[in-house]
Amino acid sequence: MHKVVKTPVKERLVIVGGGMAGSKLAYELCRQQSERFHITLIGEEPQLGYNRIMLSSLLAEEISSADMALVNLEEMVLSGATLISGDPVQGISVEKKSLTLLSGMVMSYDKLIIATGSRATMLPIDGAQASNVIGFRQWQDVNLMSAIKGSQPVSVIGGGLLGLEAAVGLAKRGHQVTVFHRSKWLLNRQLDTESARLLQRKLETMGVHFRLGTSPQTLLQNEKGLVSHVKLPDGEQIATKMVVMAAGITPEVALGKKAGLQVNRAILVDAQMKTSCQDIFALGECCEFDDQTFGLVAPIWTQIKVLLAVLAGNQARFLIEPVPTKLKVSGVNLFSVGRIQPNQDDNCIVFNDVGSNHYRKLVVNDGLLVGAILYGNVADGSWYFQLIQNKTNVSDMLDLLVFGEAYCQSKVA
Amino acid sequence: MTTTVKTTCPYCGVGCGVNLSLPANPNEVVPPVSGDLDHPANFGRLCVKGSSLAQTIKSDDRLLSPQIDGQVATWARAIDTIADKISQVVKDHGPDAFAFYLSGQILTEDYYVANKLAKGFIGTANVDTNSRLCMASAVVGYKRAFGSDTVPCNYDDLERCDLLIMVGSNAAWTHPILFQRMVAAKQQRPSMKIVVIDPRATATCDIADLHLAIRPGSDAAIFSFLLQESARMGLVDDVFVAQHTNQFEATLQQAMESTPDVASTAAFCGVDEHDLMTLSQWWASNDKAVTFYSQGVNQSSSGVDKCNAIINCHLATARLGKEGAGPFSITGQPNAMGGREVGGLANQLAAHMDFATPGALDLVQRFWQAPNMATQNGLKAVDLFQAIEAGKVKVLWIMSTNPMVSLPDTAQVRRALEKCELVIVSDCKAHTDTTAMADVLLPATGWSEKDGTVTNSERRISRQRGLLPAPGDAKHDWWAICEVAKAMGYGSAFDYQGVHEIFAEHAGLSAFENNGTRDFDIGHYRHITQAQYDGFTPTQWPVPEGKPEGTKRMFADGHFFTQDGRAQFVPIKPSLPALKVTQQWPFVLNTGRVRDQWHTMTRTGDAPSLAKHTAQPYVDIHPEDAQRLGIIDGALTRLSSPHGEVRLKAKVTKSTAQGQIFVPIHWTQQFANAAVVSNLIPQTVDPLSGQPESKHGVVQVERIPLLQYALVVSSRPQSFPEALYWCVIPSDQGFRYEVVWPNGVHLARLKEAFSPWQEALCVEGNHWLEYTNPMTGQLRLACLAGGRLDTVVYLSHQPEVVSADWLLSKLASSDALSELDRIALLVGLPANVEDKGNIVCSCYQIGSKQIEKAIASGAETVEALGAVLKCGTNCGSCIPELKHFIPKRMELSA
Repeated sequence: MHKVVKTPVKERLVIVGGGMAGSKLAYELCRQQSERFHITLIGEEPQLGYNRIMLSSLLAEEISSADMALVNLEEMVLSGATLISGDPVQGISVEKKSLTLLSGMVMSYDKLIIATGSRATMLPIDGAQASNVIGFRQWQDVNLMSAIKGSQPVSVIGGGLLGLEAAVGLAKRGHQVTVFHRSKWLLNRQLDTESARLLQRKLETMGVHFRLGTSPQTLLQNEKGLVSHVKLPDGEQIATKMVVMAAGITPEVALGKKAGLQVNRAILVDAQMKTSCQDIFALGECCEFDDQTFGLVAPIWTQIKVLLAVLAGNQARFLIEPVPTKLKVSGVNLFSVGRIQPNQDDNCIVFNDVGSNHYRKLVVNDGLLVGAILYGNVADGSWYFQLIQNKTNVSDMLDLLVFGEAYCQSKVA
Repeated sequence: MTTTVKTTCPYCGVGCGVNLSLPANPNEVVPPVSGDLDHPANFGRLCVKGSSLAQTIKSDDRLLSPQIDGQVATWARAIDTIADKISQVVKDHGPDAFAFYLSGQILTEDYYVANKLAKGFIGTANVDTNSRLCMASAVVGYKRAFGSDTVPCNYDDLERCDLLIMVGSNAAWTHPILFQRMVAAKQQRPSMKIVVIDPRATATCDIADLHLAIRPGSDAAIFSFLLQESARMGLVDDVFVAQHTNQFEATLQQAMESTPDVASTAAFCGVDEHDLMTLSQWWASNDKAVTFYSQGVNQSSSGVDKCNAIINCHLATARLGKEGAGPFSITGQPNAMGGREVGGLANQLAAHMDFATPGALDLVQRFWQAPNMATQNGLKAVDLFQAIEAGKVKVLWIMSTNPMVSLPDTAQVRRALEKCELVIVSDCKAHTDTTAMADVLLPATGWSEKDGTVTNSERRISRQRGLLPAPGDAKHDWWAICEVAKAMGYGSAFDYQGVHEIFAEHAGLSAFENNGTRDFDIGHYRHITQAQYDGFTPTQWPVPEGKPEGTKRMFADGHFFTQDGRAQFVPIKPSLPALKVTQQWPFVLNTGRVRDQWHTMTRTGDAPSLAKHTAQPYVDIHPEDAQRLGIIDGALTRLSSPHGEVRLKAKVTKSTAQGQIFVPIHWTQQFANAAVVSNLIPQTVDPLSGQPESKHGVVQVERIPLLQYALVVSSRPQSFPEALYWCVIPSDQGFRYEVVWPNGVHLARLKEAFSPWQEALCVEGNHWLEYTNPMTGQLRLACLAGGRLDTVVYLSHQPEVVSADWLLSKLASSDALSELDRIALLVGLPANVEDKGNIVCSCYQIGSKQIEKAIASGAETVEALGAVLKCGTNCGSCIPELKHFIPKRMELSA
């Protein structure tokens, strides 16, 4: 009585994009579903599977490249996965279920996952195309910034999270950094003026200069075509050795568009992360669900979970959950959730400890917490987030609310 | 080696024995005192005030050298200034241009030399004392009935009686050790009945079988009724009345007219008829009955009559002079009794002799060899201050008392002291409301530094023994008086080699040609030596020659010290307080004490733990009155009378009746800006005793709208010039204030007002922490200077209770502040620290929230709470309050 054991033919699953979403998905698939899928991960960058969030730490020389890994690539290879780096995909043939790489390699797939992420938005101003105008997205960008020797003037356009991270990293490397920010205060989507002022003061002590409420009009180039000065609308010119463009991100959808997938701002997906095409999925910063795109890791990790389940044949739905913004700028923790600019009938409870860089603002409306900013100490952030999510009536703890969960709980107890 | 002496507590009239020890090392603080197990007043127990005595031994604010017109001076110059001025005014205006205003806190020997100097050598009987404010009516009551100022009873009688009637006394708070003895006696013999007669429901009611919440001032009617009930029920001891008393019939007749029946009496007193009859039945069925009375009886425009109404009942039933029976007046001060014995009152001569006592003037003159005997009564306290204002008295020597706080109508007292040509104030403290009015300040030794004797409420003479050295140039009061006497040329009569010589002379006068004619005779001590004085053990007078053991009880033989040896009944027409409420002044104001403070806080105010029970002055107001006036608990309230105004926080409570309010007497301008209740009290006095009706005023009560309430904790003393109210709460670690401002205080202004920095925040470690909450009206600031807590200000539109203990501990701490500490600076305590609530047990510092928690986890009796938290197991004075925490359980019927 012999049983014939037949090796099943594995489905070919290809992930385009070796960034955080793609790498993390590939890694989880290797661990959970390598019996079923042959997994191929393709990235355009020379490095795969690194933690992009830590580029700023790398720039600031707080860590070394050895600390950058997000997933264990070796473990993936041992489980049979194919890893391709530095060879961007050039096209997808939906009909043939295949794709072509820059190297000319053609590869067939049974399931395709697009995780092409996003690129730094380059403002359409004169000089932006110069070679010393870079984004702050990729490992390569860090290498370029690290290559500047000595103490040089450097310009950062954009006082959002990435811009500030770049600015701090460059300042720590000894450069004279100026941040240009269109809004009147830093991180204007996450912070109010007071907390932004605290942050600005902290960054100024690290040597970063700020030009707020203004945006460069032109990047003046020298005879070598390199930007040498930033010119402001009022005519002022500020010398610069390099310009880091950190004015936001744009989903990378070129590949999907060319392949004929439905694309709006990004590649449209359903709650199972399926695109408009059979057997093609998308996730991460390049996808759009329910009119939203995604820039923070938390929803993307959720998307990975959903997709893992869908690929395993299980039921799963991706739901957009409100996510608090948790940031860390140069060692300062920030937390921001909900409505942070109060309406007329909102009230703000404020705690401000300038000396220890600790600020809290809670926005309360009709007995409900509707928004919160925490600066410095964010330990209570998730509790406030729950109070907002659960629409907990906070009328009884208004006197202690801003001091956090420990106080309010001891009052309840 | 520690040195320990047995001394006597300087607070109330119970006169407990205290062991006081020197620290092993002179640089250390004095260790906590303990109760003297051998002292018959307390047998080792001490109340919370007594237990905290060591905390009050500190050098803060001691007066260390004489001052003349604000300038430091030598004793020699101060004495010459005083002696010259007295001599001059006596020469120009007669001896009555000088007056002493003394205190029940100075020792008998101080009293003796002051009385002798004034009445025998200067020639004035203007020697009055703050005892006028507390028991002058009791003195006159006793004298009218017995012919002498004699307390018949002793403390054992409180334990041995079967019926204890407490009138106008909140002994649970004012005489805690006696109260504890009563509690223990009742526990041992639950059949013992205790009746409390008091307009307020006080802590004392806790042990009462019956509480008669009488209309304020109507006490006499209760006893008038009891007298005629005694007759109706056949309780009158006809033999005793016939053989040992006069005027029974007329007195009974008056009682039957005044209080003919239970209905009219109950209506007059505002009590339930049934309750009144219960008292009457208990009075009938218990021969061993003590009536225990205090300020509520005495501080009245008819205080003497009230005393006699009480004594009448005891005389009619012969319930005195025997175990467990008698009319027992309890004094409020440690040595009011000693002052009475010396004759240190304007209407006494000396040694229980009056100017009117036949032969007394001559006797005393011969004993003293006095050149200038006063010949008639001097001015009693209120009259004295009015005479000063009128310019008749030109030199006043105030000793160890604070009339700017304690006398009624503060504005009048201020006018008088401003008018007086020379105001001399002897005190331990540099800053009191009264030292502020002085021309000459004399630094006095205090309780722990001074030798002498005191007499407690049961006629027991005990030694006060000094142990610590006098600080600075401080001197004993008797020494200062004798030096002035010497400077005036009376050296030979005041040349004492030690305080025991004064006591011996005092004893000698008491026995001089006495032969049993006068109750006060301590002739046994007239040759007392230094060694005997040092070894003096507590003894009840009389201690005549040949009877060294003293006298436990008086009048056992039915002999009284009247001309004919018979006690006098006094017909009493009960009357209500002089002032009636009107539409303009619709509230009756009652005054009294809180548990853990004493008098004007010059001593208790030095012990931070004593401020925990009641941190701020307050006004008790009934919930319905409060609601009608829009006053919530803790809200600042304005009380005004025709005489002045005070501003206090409201305590909304049913312990006071509708239409009545209650205000404690303790807080002075040293502790609060507008809390001296005497501002509201008129100078109405009892016509016989001259004791002011300090427990009765008529006032208006108003809500003060639009306020901001603040807690300020600072490492530096602060002032609050724009505040409507401020109160400083004693602390060892810094300065704690409660403040109320009119609306309009904002963040920037607070920062400006409390900033410790000249410049802006440019220095590392100097910061403001801020918290603002428009919904609660909270605005809180903490100021860090050099990384350490300097000042905290919590502001709120509503009164809020915030514990300051943790904040104060951070002022004193040199530890770096953690991030959580910094949050806690704006909360008041760290999240993980138990909020004790208001301190209930001062001995062990146990608070209301801890008690509630312990009860919730099963400790449902006072004993169980004591076992878990230790509360109530030391002095026991919090037990009445502890009981209020324990949930009432349904009684199961059998």
